[in-house]
Amino acid sequence: MNILNEFEYYAPKTKSEALELVKSLGSSAKVLAGGTDLIIMMKEKMIKPEAIIDISNLDELKGIVCKDGQGAEIGACTTIAEIEFSKDLEKKYSALTYAAGELGSNQVRVMATIGGNCCHSSPAAETPTPLSALGAKVVISGLAGERELPMEDFIQGNRKNDLQPGEIVSKFILPEPAKKSACRYGYIGLRNAMEIDAVNMAVNITLEDDGTKIKDVKLVMGSVSPRPLVSELIPGLLKGTELTEELIVKAGEAAQSEAKPITDVRASAEYRRDVVGALARRLVKEAYEAAKEA
Amino acid sequence: MKKQLITLDINDQLYQVAVTPMDILVDVIRKEIGLTGTKKGCGQGDCGACTVLIDGKPQLGCLKLAIACQGKKITTIEGVADPVTGELHPLQKSFLDHGAVQCGFCTPGMILSSKALVDSTPNPSKEEIKRTLAGNTCRCTGYILIFEAIEAYVKARAEGEVK
Repeated sequence: MNILNEFEYYAPKTKSEALELVKSLGSSAKVLAGGTDLIIMMKEKMIKPEAIIDISNLDELKGIVCKDGQGAEIGACTTIAEIEFSKDLEKKYSALTYAAGELGSNQVRVMATIGGNCCHSSPAAETPTPLSALGAKVVISGLAGERELPMEDFIQGNRKNDLQPGEIVSKFILPEPAKKSACRYGYIGLRNAMEIDAVNMAVNITLEDDGTKIKDVKLVMGSVSPRPLVSELIPGLLKGTELTEELIVKAGEAAQSEAKPITDVRASAEYRRDVVGALARRLVKEAYEAAKEA
Repeated sequence: MKKQLITLDINDQLYQVAVTPMDILVDVIRKEIGLTGTKKGCGQGDCGACTVLIDGKPQLGCLKLAIACQGKKITTIEGVADPVTGELHPLQKSFLDHGAVQCGFCTPGMILSSKALVDSTPNPSKEEIKRTLAGNTCRCTGYILIFEAIEAYVKARAEGEVK
């Protein structure tokens, strides 16, 4: 009944114990949190780790701390379901809680963690896109100490990220949303439930004090590039403007020109490019309207 | 590989089983402990047939290492009925009353997923019921009777007819 390769199982009791293990076992070991990606990869024989370091019981890596006016911190082992149902997070970061609720199935969301979703570094992952748009930083811990990276710089390619040997992701830091700002997330897949996104996207817009001109905008695309793709054209196009229908169309075209979609089992490159345009138009408009109300 | 003795708390009973780290929870529950109500479908976390409650929350037995489940409270379908009288839980009865079971393979997972929902949510909407069961695949009934069974149970409970 064993279909997994042989490995040693370690369940460290503290974060520092986990870091010692990650350091000493090196690349022969894999870190287990929710297991909804890792165990599948092991069953598929895509990876054959000699050791599993189970960090899912480490309270130090769990939990959501939302402070008034001071952003939020989310532990890496916080489950996707906890994020989905966090009223505190929903008030400030509804794009993230919505994206969390659209990940996998209920059972998967109960098991999967935000750290795992980011460290798996799938181009189609749900949470890195809104985390990037919201300006989240990834806190990476090793025995030598901690370092921080912007979310979009942490993921470097298809299942590649900046984690070095001996390091784990310990938490995510989200800045307080700017006044007069709103972030919106959207995705298109083959169906509503249990799908893997063909394209996902998040748009974060901050308005000037006048409540009409765009002060800042960040558009992030997922699943159309090996890593979260932050639009370079959109800020130049929209900053300082009052959004018009013409600008919305141009924003869609700008995002389409930057996306690098591929054809795979979920969608053709051509379809993905169309979806990028549609999502960009929809989300820019929605985020702008929501920022006006903020 | 050498086996080690672990203790699993399943339906409020402690079971000592010898496992390797590679042993998957659903296999241990079915083959070592002999509780075959939990089904194994895709083995990939998609179909939900292997759903069990761990500390009250629905999780996929096919993606859990058994060794990682020590110290946690596991509920399988065998633990849903009254442990003393053996009487079915009213949610189970509602599934029977509404014909929400056809081949029955998905039913343990359906019951456990919906039980976690009704335990944590006093009055779930149809949309919440649908979202909750999106990870439990049924290829017989078309879900309508399953939704009706859950809604009828929730209504009967709200009216104080059942617990």
